[in-house]
Amino acid sequence: MTPEEETDALLDALGRGEMTDAFDPAARLLAALLDDVSQWRSSVSMTPST
Amino acid sequence: MTTGRISAGIMPIVSEGSVADAKIGVRLASRLPARTDDSDLRELTSLAVQGDRSAIESLLGELRPMVVRYCRARLGRVSGQYHIADDVAQEVCIAVLSALPRYRDMGRPFASFVFGIASHKVADALRSSVRSAVPTQDLPDGPDEGPGPEETVVRYIEVEHARRLLAKLPDNQRELLLLRVVSGLSAEETGNVLGMSPGAVRVAQHRALARLRQMAELESA
Repeated sequence: MTPEEETDALLDALGRGEMTDAFDPAARLLAALLDDVSQWRSSVSMTPST
Repeated sequence: MTTGRISAGIMPIVSEGSVADAKIGVRLASRLPARTDDSDLRELTSLAVQGDRSAIESLLGELRPMVVRYCRARLGRVSGQYHIADDVAQEVCIAVLSALPRYRDMGRPFASFVFGIASHKVADALRSSVRSAVPTQDLPDGPDEGPGPEETVVRYIEVEHARRLLAKLPDNQRELLLLRVVSGLSAEETGNVLGMSPGAVRVAQHRALARLRQMAELESA
């Protein structure tokens, strides 16, 4: 596998939410950003209906 | 116990178990749903273009999370919230819906069409002064089940670090990495959005990642 193919596979995996190399600082930064922008605020209300 | 999931949000802390998991490349995050198969998406798009309401809803359900993540990554937070980015994402979805009846399948992935629109909307938002608006945070009406203060701070620092280093990349390289990772587009789809061949995308993304890695390593040295 060429370095370009390895990068392609790494980015494909990150895009699916998979971490294939926890020691890669670039992958970790991208994963952290992906995690942050994927936080959905819960819309479930705790107020009981009357 | 720290897990190795991307969604853990505390990436600097990796337990031995999760490192072992990472080494063998197992799936570590479950937050991102698997994307619909390309042929299914094409069929869904075709039905949506014909006005099939259920297909339109399914198509939007598929694309909206990708668009929201992209807008959030490009526009960032204002006062700690993603209100403006989410508003822009909503505008993108409305623009896609409006353009849908005129959409013609020319063999390009539908996601490329969507992110072409998204890219322009984000550029418009960046040019305008909407970012100066400071919305008031809603008061929660129930217990906050999110991460605690310490985890929130660690996550914030790391995400800001990612944003700062990404901002140092040339525009094209940054856009490329965001489309590939945050939006989850393939190299082919990304090439269609940016007007590049898949081969050129693969070369450019390799350079972009190498540059990001080099900057991260220099800062941690």
